[in-house]
Amino acid sequence: MLRVRKYLLYSAAIALSALLMAPWAAHAGQPKRVTVTGEIIDPWCYLSDIMWATGSAHHQCAVWCARGGIPVGILGDDEQVYIVLKMQNDPDVIGHHGILRMQSNEVVVEGDLYERDSIKYLAIDTIIDDHGIVNHSHDEFDIQPFGE
Amino acid sequence: MNKTYISFVAGLFALALFTLPGVAAAADSWGLPGEEEVRFDAKVTDVLCVLSGDCPPDCGAGKRVLGLLKADGELVLPVKNGGPFTGAVADLLPYCGTTVTADGLFTINYGVKTFAMQFVKPQEAKWRRANQFVKDWAAAHGLDAKDKKARRWFRNDETIVEIIGEQGKLGLKDKGIEP
Repeated sequence: MLRVRKYLLYSAAIALSALLMAPWAAHAGQPKRVTVTGEIIDPWCYLSDIMWATGSAHHQCAVWCARGGIPVGILGDDEQVYIVLKMQNDPDVIGHHGILRMQSNEVVVEGDLYERDSIKYLAIDTIIDDHGIVNHSHDEFDIQPFGE
Repeated sequence: MNKTYISFVAGLFALALFTLPGVAAAADSWGLPGEEEVRFDAKVTDVLCVLSGDCPPDCGAGKRVLGLLKADGELVLPVKNGGPFTGAVADLLPYCGTTVTADGLFTINYGVKTFAMQFVKPQEAKWRRANQFVKDWAAAHGLDAKDKKARRWFRNDETIVEIIGEQGKLGLKDKGIEP
């Protein structure tokens, strides 16, 4: 009888632990739905601070880098960098010609946000709006790099 | 000690540097924000696969964002390789699903940690300089990777020439704004 009680007690404890842990376990892999407004950027040039890395001054370089296989990012109005993993549900984002043509544009997008090891990753399913290039940084910074 | 002997010893030393694992391929400093020279082992993986469970067998054939998953669970994002304006996907793709040793620089800025991979060493193989994009581009154009046209691939690539031709260097050609 004592053995049965012990068994039931252990079972209850395990079930309770599983119940308590379940939401956390599910949350760890669950993305958050977000709407992000920001500029499509080359995250390398921006994060490495190697040049003025946004807007029209950096447009040509952003096209080079995206074509060269550097992942594309969005610099949000919240000053956060989002690495793009999908664009309109397409995961083939590396060197994608459509994305190359969107470099430096200000966009409003909706998608799933994953956060891992200090990086925000965005799987975009919808481009709500595309305002084109609104950041005319060449007025101040000319063409970066090389001035041509 | 004559000059020939000294040259011979120097040559042997240089050869050893490039062939001995653990000695060769130390990262060069680029003066990046929060820069740290690092070497670590990690599995080459598709980032979307790790985060969402959407896992194509070939890591997306070079079209998806690739990451380096360390044994301690850290997912490192290699955004850059050692070439001009190029990323590390082409360097990592052949090793999808396997563990490599990566050598390069961590940079931490704006609270974001990314990795510039300068060298990669597959298991049981020699160190490779991480500049595969330029090698592939050169090969596709019938050039040697050291050819001036290949080193300036970003000025000569047909897709880039087409897009910059359409949009202008500032991307504002449609608004009549050009440098």
